[in-house]
Amino acid sequence: MALMTSLPTKPTPHVQGRSRVGRISLDRLRERGAISLFLLPITAVLVLLFLIPLAQSVYYSFTDYDGYSANADFIGLRNYKSAFTDSSMVGSLTFTTVYAIGTTLVITVLAIPLAVILNRRFAGRGFVKSVFFFPAVPSVALLGLVWVFILNPLGSGVVNSVLHAIAGSGPVPWLSQDRLAQLSVLGVGVWAGTGWHATIYLAYLQSIPAEYYEAATIDGASPMQMFRSITLPLLTPAMTVSTLLLLTAGLKVFDLPFTLTKGGPGFATHTITQSIIENGIAQGRVGQASALAVLFLIVVGLVVLAQLFIARRLEGRYS
Amino acid sequence: MKSRRGIATSLIMVPLSCLIAVPFYYIVVNTFKTQAETTQSPLGLPSRPYFGNYAAVFRDTPIVTSFLNTLYVTTLSIALMLLVGSMAAFGIILSRGRLTKALGVVLIVAFLIPGQSTLLPIYQMLVDVHLIDSLTGLVFVYGAGSIFCYFLIVGYMRTVPSEIIEAARIDGAGPFRIFWSLVLPLIRPILVTVGVFQTMWVWNDFITPNVFISSPGKQTLVLQVYTAVGQFTTNWPAFMTLSVIVLAPTVVFFIFTQRHIVSGLLKGSIKG
Repeated sequence: MALMTSLPTKPTPHVQGRSRVGRISLDRLRERGAISLFLLPITAVLVLLFLIPLAQSVYYSFTDYDGYSANADFIGLRNYKSAFTDSSMVGSLTFTTVYAIGTTLVITVLAIPLAVILNRRFAGRGFVKSVFFFPAVPSVALLGLVWVFILNPLGSGVVNSVLHAIAGSGPVPWLSQDRLAQLSVLGVGVWAGTGWHATIYLAYLQSIPAEYYEAATIDGASPMQMFRSITLPLLTPAMTVSTLLLLTAGLKVFDLPFTLTKGGPGFATHTITQSIIENGIAQGRVGQASALAVLFLIVVGLVVLAQLFIARRLEGRYS
Repeated sequence: MKSRRGIATSLIMVPLSCLIAVPFYYIVVNTFKTQAETTQSPLGLPSRPYFGNYAAVFRDTPIVTSFLNTLYVTTLSIALMLLVGSMAAFGIILSRGRLTKALGVVLIVAFLIPGQSTLLPIYQMLVDVHLIDSLTGLVFVYGAGSIFCYFLIVGYMRTVPSEIIEAARIDGAGPFRIFWSLVLPLIRPILVTVGVFQTMWVWNDFITPNVFISSPGKQTLVLQVYTAVGQFTTNWPAFMTLSVIVLAPTVVFFIFTQRHIVSGLLKGSIKG
């Protein structure tokens, strides 16, 4: 029995080991202590940075705790109710949802063709691949700050000065009008994320055997038919992975809207994360912010579960 | 026929990627211009290269301190999370107990918890132990990344043949000896990949320093660029110079580790 447990993966009987059973089982006792020591640090991380804070978040969400006073009163579901009525919170829930769904759709639609093209041979392919991928490397916050200058309505704002030179139009208030600000944040998000996701698709594309396409060519299939009946189905796992990453990252978004617009104008580009931070830390509405944090956790959890469920069904259909 | 299609692809894709790269061109080219020239021709090449912006940034901002702060936090956090993650992976692989299995499940659940939903209590916790506005406090918060490290490492560690560990055991090596001088060298490739991936996260992170750091002397690079927006509202070239200086290490890092970044991305995403 001791021997069985001492073999980590495949329990292949070990002749030499068996002759020393006595010694090994003595070692096992000592080893059990060692194993706990190995697991101690991660357990500490789990308890201190996940379990306790999570329990506290849930607890605070039912109270009017302000972060300072010693006593917090139980107020039931009131915090949850106001998450759906308070204008800043409603704004942040709306924009975060729009951003998550919007970037997921647009990036997916752009990244798949990009990956298909990058999978071909052409001069300058390495350059093109690196350039598209590169915006994913620096800090998103830094890119947001740089884009503030690019979209600036003043003469040195590139986009407006180019528009003026080409179409002669006056400065467009990219970041100061509600709808435009939302579009700008989305646009920069797409710019920063498309290459990164094309890389995921490319890796999966490269694993599709060339024979599939050869056989289809012999059968006289058109490129469009091949894309629809070979490439797309075989990219299903990649799509699961990529859209899951996009949706969860989109729901968690903070850096980009915050550095581009500070969440404004008004609450047009306010995010859930920004609401949690502002309410919970700056304004001392810990209870209120915690309710939002708990709601957020539930939404992210549901998205992940739904995605995994759909993925399993889709993959089952194609394989 | 084939090559003609290749040329057409190049003719479309190369200009397109140049368009994608315009923001980077824009900030780099303007660091060599005076304020007046930036306003006049934001996209043109400088008439005469001007280096005053670089001097100004090093003079007017604590950029060296911020760099050292970022380096300190990143190095310490990555070392810590790799150690915690690989120890956990080794512990999980060695043991077969029911408790350990439960721990594995809890780790998966924890992995799905977004940082936002634990942020406020962690903030309170750090206030209580006086680790707010401290670089050590930041390292502690980044410790949460150990769970991601654990997942990638445990997958790789399962590919290490158990016979190797068994043989070392029979030779009388204790678990710590096996971990330190046998397992860690064997899983080096995954440690590099995860290390590179997590370095990108910690180095570039904005939200954690923005929430936990308040003194200017303890800022990380990204946070410093953020505060500099107020300082340089009118002096655009100086702001872009600061951004370029902050971007430079990332670019160098990218060139040397591109392969690892991509494979880390794929490994991380496949696990979901």
